[in-house]
Amino acid sequence: MARSLTSIREIERELSSLRMQPGAETPYQRTSVMTHTAWVPTEWVEAAEDVLSGLAERHPSRTVVLFPQPDDQDGLDGDVEVDVYPAGEGRQICTETIRVRLKGPRASAPASVVQPLLLPDLPAFLRWRGLPPFGAPEFEQLIDVVDRLIVDSTEWPDLPESYRGLTEIFDRVVVSDIAWARTSRWRPMLASLWPDIAGVQRIRVTGTAAQAHLLAGWLRSRLKRTVELEHDSADRLHGVDIDGEPAPFPPGDPPSGADVLSEELDTFARDRIYEDAVRGTLA
Amino acid sequence: MATAQENPLLEGLQIGRTPEPCILVIFGASGDLTKRKLFPALYSLAFRRLLPEKFQIVGVARTEESDDEFRDRMKEAVQQFSRDEFRDDVWDALTDGIRYIAADFSNHEELDRLAAMMREVDEERGTGGNRVYYLAVPPAAFEVIVREIGTHSRAKGWTRLIVEKPFGHDLASARHLNAVIHEHFEESEVFRIDHYLGKETVQNMLALRFANGIFEPIWNRQFVDHVQITVAESMGIEARGAYYEQAGAIRDIFQNHLLQLLAITAMEPPIDFTADSVRNEKVKVLRAIHTPGPKSVVRGQYGRGYVEGEEVRGYREEPGVDPHSMTETYVAAKLYVDNWRWADTPFYVRMGKRLPRRETTIAIEFKRAPHPPFEELAAEGLRPNVLLVHVQPDEGVSLAIGAKVPGQGLTIRTVHMDFLYGGAFRTGLPEAYERLILDAMRGDATLFTRIDEVEEQWSLVDAIVAAWARDRPAFPNYPAGTWGPPSAEELLKRDGRSWRGH
Repeated sequence: MARSLTSIREIERELSSLRMQPGAETPYQRTSVMTHTAWVPTEWVEAAEDVLSGLAERHPSRTVVLFPQPDDQDGLDGDVEVDVYPAGEGRQICTETIRVRLKGPRASAPASVVQPLLLPDLPAFLRWRGLPPFGAPEFEQLIDVVDRLIVDSTEWPDLPESYRGLTEIFDRVVVSDIAWARTSRWRPMLASLWPDIAGVQRIRVTGTAAQAHLLAGWLRSRLKRTVELEHDSADRLHGVDIDGEPAPFPPGDPPSGADVLSEELDTFARDRIYEDAVRGTLA
Repeated sequence: MATAQENPLLEGLQIGRTPEPCILVIFGASGDLTKRKLFPALYSLAFRRLLPEKFQIVGVARTEESDDEFRDRMKEAVQQFSRDEFRDDVWDALTDGIRYIAADFSNHEELDRLAAMMREVDEERGTGGNRVYYLAVPPAAFEVIVREIGTHSRAKGWTRLIVEKPFGHDLASARHLNAVIHEHFEESEVFRIDHYLGKETVQNMLALRFANGIFEPIWNRQFVDHVQITVAESMGIEARGAYYEQAGAIRDIFQNHLLQLLAITAMEPPIDFTADSVRNEKVKVLRAIHTPGPKSVVRGQYGRGYVEGEEVRGYREEPGVDPHSMTETYVAAKLYVDNWRWADTPFYVRMGKRLPRRETTIAIEFKRAPHPPFEELAAEGLRPNVLLVHVQPDEGVSLAIGAKVPGQGLTIRTVHMDFLYGGAFRTGLPEAYERLILDAMRGDATLFTRIDEVEEQWSLVDAIVAAWARDRPAFPNYPAGTWGPPSAEELLKRDGRSWRGH
């Protein structure tokens, strides 16, 4: 059972002791390519842990998982884990996961907890589960200390209206949307229908609401024309009809959730095509 | 396909460059290279869906085998040598496009049969007349195959010819082979493989040098004391006695892998990463290399010894080797690159068989700090900084720096800052052949050697070998499992230096 740690200093000390290889003179080698912060409200805990497991192995990083518990008594309660993986001949590397429960008023000051834990000079990613509370202090603080925000708008209610808040922050932080990434097999397929698709008036998308709105937004923004959307709800993207004609199914299997997130963590540049598509959902 | 300007939907799409439909014809399909490298690489490409949908492999070799027997044998090879898990669905999709022809390469009629089969495949699978010919055959067979496939009428699509090393055995034979090839193929259709260039860590040398601002300003004679390049193998010559007797270490490793590693280490920044820009810079380095004289090249041959605790035979006892053979299994040399950047900076290179371990490294040793302001005792631990590029194994880069040992006083010890590929990127590194086969299918020749590079490499080798004709060293001169003959140590000792410690 991991020891409960109540300050950043205790967290750092515990990490440093766990990094020491038992019985060896030298510590494990720490390898990090980023700090990955996840904001995980209670209802997302299980889903978040599923995706996080295995991610550290692909992207050696310091992972800071924040669990907001605003209704609890004021305090900070953390635990740390060091996972060791073989790398090269006779060497082992370690990655770190820090879980911090932000209790009481601390849930609204998360940046002050994250900032001392960010690895210097490496990119910082923030994975926000559910719809971010645009304008709320905890969200506003965190996007100012990270380089990239990763959301999955499939998790959001009230689409496309919920995208409005997102459009307000594009100039402050680079945004990745897993729902958008999940349309990545379909977009080249639809692009290959050029020039027939140039005059499209109506599309029908069988998939999640986020995928449907983002594909419609993408077509509107790129083709600079009105495109009506008809949406058939499904848990994944099954088909797209262009003016009543089904588009060919793209080749290959859809990637897993961890694969999609993993790819987003390799991306650093601002995706202006996505930003235009999000604006296009509201057109 | 339309451009993003014509088709706004293409803007921002990350479209991988899937090769166009084609037939890959492997000559030498029953050989070791096909089994150990080519098919595992093709499977890995299929595993990642990087092969074109309309694709066919045709194996050609002298061995009598049916399509099914060939497929079964390749399946076993993939199961044994692939870096990826074996999946029936991936294999089934790949195997659907595998055919085999038993043919004598020099028999015109049998190759007519191959041409007819390929026309059939074009019809059936829509491969559009596009051909990649892979010559995975001994050098003696190159010429006849090139003539045969060259004289068969071309289909309407593109043609690419992948040629394995060695390309000739000296400058004259390389030029002759090239003349034969150019009778039938344009230079842009020829892809000469040096598989070291397909290794991620070799390409990372380009990233290290040209994507980081801190290294390039000190990457020159002002700051670099010398460079050491080691290509060490712990294994012997395996079953390649006949080939190795003709080649020796100088033609097997020095002429190609080693000089390419040197060229990438020493080259000037190319203006871009197109094939010709990179190769233009490499060839300038190759043209500028010289060795100061016969005493600056050492050769060796291994005798009996111990490798990994096992007693192993000497080179002259290997099957297929003359018991009085004078073939070298080890070469060490001091080379200079005569240009503004590297004048008077030695490049010490060594390569050999039956050395204590498998290791390919490039070590850039920087000049010592000019005046360490420490007491004598502290200064004893001060060693020059070394930037070490591990090509294999433990792929990565490490920088040796001096650090204070914790405690009273000031004692300095050398420590390493390491970047390990396996540590930072947890995805498996692709095998060199995966990258190279795919690049050839796409027509990207950046990682292949151009004829002028090959010619410069042979010019240097010919000059070294000519000097060898005049003396007869006392072979064997190093026991298996050691770092080469004593004269290799002498080579550096004369300059007040030593090979990197192990």
